[in-house]
Amino acid sequence: MEHAQVVTFWLSFLLYAAGFVYLLYFLITKRETQNRIGLGCVITGWLLQTTTLALRWAQAGHVPVVGAYESITTLTWAVVAVYLVLEWRTRIKALGLYVMPAVLVLLAVAWTAYSPPAVLRPALKSDIVVIHVIVIFTAVAAYVVAGGAALIYLIEERELKRRKIGPVLGRLPSLRTLDQLVNHAVMFGLPFLSMGIVAGIIRAETFGVGHWWTDAVVLLAVLAWAIYAGLLYLRHASGWRGRRSAWLALAGLVCLLAIRLVAVPYLSNFHVWGR
Amino acid sequence: MHLVVVGISHKTAALELRERLALSSEEAARFGRALLDDQGVAETVVLSTCNRTEIYLFADDTLAAERLAVGRLAERGGVDAAALRAAAYSHSGDAAIAHLFRVASSLDSMVVGEAQILAQLKDAYQAACGEGCTSTVFNKLFRHALEVGKRVRTETAIGERPVSISSVAVDLARQVLGKLDRRSVLVLGAGEMSELTVRHLQAQGVGRVVVANRTLETAEELARRCEGQAVCLDELGEQLEQADIVISSTSSPGFILDRPRMETVMRRRRHEPVFLIDIAVPRDIDPEVIHIDECYLYDIDDLQGVVDVNRGEREREAAHAERIVDQELARMNEWLAGLEVVPTIALLRSSVDGIREAELQRLGARLDGLTPEQRAQVEQLTSSIVNKILHLPTVRMKELAAEKDAYVYVDALRRLFDLDGATPAAACDLEGDWREAAGERAVAERRLAPEPEPPACAPAEAAASAGTRGVSGESDEVVAGAPDDALRQPAAGPDRRAS
Repeated sequence: MEHAQVVTFWLSFLLYAAGFVYLLYFLITKRETQNRIGLGCVITGWLLQTTTLALRWAQAGHVPVVGAYESITTLTWAVVAVYLVLEWRTRIKALGLYVMPAVLVLLAVAWTAYSPPAVLRPALKSDIVVIHVIVIFTAVAAYVVAGGAALIYLIEERELKRRKIGPVLGRLPSLRTLDQLVNHAVMFGLPFLSMGIVAGIIRAETFGVGHWWTDAVVLLAVLAWAIYAGLLYLRHASGWRGRRSAWLALAGLVCLLAIRLVAVPYLSNFHVWGR
Repeated sequence: MHLVVVGISHKTAALELRERLALSSEEAARFGRALLDDQGVAETVVLSTCNRTEIYLFADDTLAAERLAVGRLAERGGVDAAALRAAAYSHSGDAAIAHLFRVASSLDSMVVGEAQILAQLKDAYQAACGEGCTSTVFNKLFRHALEVGKRVRTETAIGERPVSISSVAVDLARQVLGKLDRRSVLVLGAGEMSELTVRHLQAQGVGRVVVANRTLETAEELARRCEGQAVCLDELGEQLEQADIVISSTSSPGFILDRPRMETVMRRRRHEPVFLIDIAVPRDIDPEVIHIDECYLYDIDDLQGVVDVNRGEREREAAHAERIVDQELARMNEWLAGLEVVPTIALLRSSVDGIREAELQRLGARLDGLTPEQRAQVEQLTSSIVNKILHLPTVRMKELAAEKDAYVYVDALRRLFDLDGATPAAACDLEGDWREAAGERAVAERRLAPEPEPPACAPAEAAASAGTRGVSGESDEVVAGAPDDALRQPAAGPDRRAS
């Protein structure tokens, strides 16, 4: 089972990479077939990744969110799912260009952190923890997309301000579309992030975790929440749109990534799931 | 029977000559009709736009047909035939087919990659077909040409990027603001290029147009033409707050819009993005404005830079398009070489067999007196006669299939035995998806909406009225015939001569 898992993991990675290449190719040549092939690769890769996670779940006996390998893989799975849904709804071509590189990098990181399934600490075997993890992942998936769009927005805006208009620029969505995407993604993710933080707090309280409010993970999560909430507020109240909201979206994403990459492995006392 | 094309285009003849010889598609079809049956002309299509008038002929004696066509055209246009001959080009056979394909792909156009030629070609062909000027060969040839044009448009990016200042400006506006419907435009001052840009914007669905000028009358004039509103320059402040796109081309020697003022405007607009086009010289808008968040400012040099980049891209795509044309030329030749031989033979056989059956039916009653063996023998006899008669022609046709002018025989056979059956009118209906051939790409994303070019023949008005404007940016758009050709120098002198 482990063997099969490794195979599906790498197959899905390769398919994602192929999909990304085709989408890049589509951006340059604008031939519709490349877009379809690229999307096809990503969808197939996603199905394979679902298989990987299912296998891991069966192997570990619990939802695959324990440890860096599992959680990052599940996260990327959620991100690709969100991306596919957004691609279908908004019809923005080559949305994958913003999302796939992040996914590929995260998958590579997940691989380096590969470890056999750990036994879940009894403290974490509860429904509310499962809810907490699921909603947080959904929120992060939405924020990865927001961050990706924000990044492209900033690059495009800089090129437009510099007034050097290459042929590639014309193939990117308009600044307004990207700005709206950032806005929608942030709005979409905020309730999930809020629920996730609240669920986590409830769990910490009921489990009697002391000083949970000083934990790095919690602090970063609340900071990210404040950034995103602030983004939306400033947008409505002071007209902070475009460049400023893009930077805020990126800042929020950095916080969230810091949770996974810095706080959980090194700084947190209780926010660890295995060992 | 051979294919030949003779005509004039922007490459070989000046506007005055082209003007005289321009025909509407109905007139062109009638002109073509009149050419039929003279000098053995069997099929003809006449294509006439403001940039070219070409006559395609399928005739026995191509030289005579050419001379006839040129003579009649000269007569029609009231020009000297010798002068016309000097300015005309002609191609025959393969070269004619290649020329047609290149024309359909917009490779021979004044602005390579333009979208209209395909629709114009389709109209010309349909009109000719309606007048009964086309038959097997031209029906196949022109439909194929339209397919080639369509293929070039979808497989290359040849028509994708705009190459005129005003359409580049509109394209950039869309890049920043997304869909332009319900956006407002503010025009400061007035001028040819501003008006052109406003029209392009309106083609993209822009909502409000407001024109501001120092003198209300001038503003009102332009506003009337653009179906907008006119205001005095004093109202500039409030109008700026409403405007998503600002086009400025006043003759003011200093800045009308400086950075502090724009910053106030942005604050009041709550930083809704603004796209500013400054085509005035000296500039109306302080270049520092570009550093304000959500402000995008382009002056005439910037726009020209983009035009140059896009032109370069079109040229690269043109090379790709030429390769497609070569491929299609080979395919066309294959067809001409007799892929139609086999179906024609089949049709011939079935047609003759039909006659045989019909005759046997007719005898019907009189055959009843025969015994079954005798009936069988009669059947066999008639079959055998038919086969023997058709044997030699069939073998010969198959041999000829390998030769280049097999289509001549195929065509002859089809006519002599009336194998086509379909009436010309039915053959002339082209499917509805030819909308796409006019340059629209069938993709959902608005980024690929067709370039909003005004008709390539925005005529002499453009030339006349922009003549003496002081703003140098304006006069660039003045080129007789095609506003989009603004900065491309027409090829000097005829580059092909009548052979």
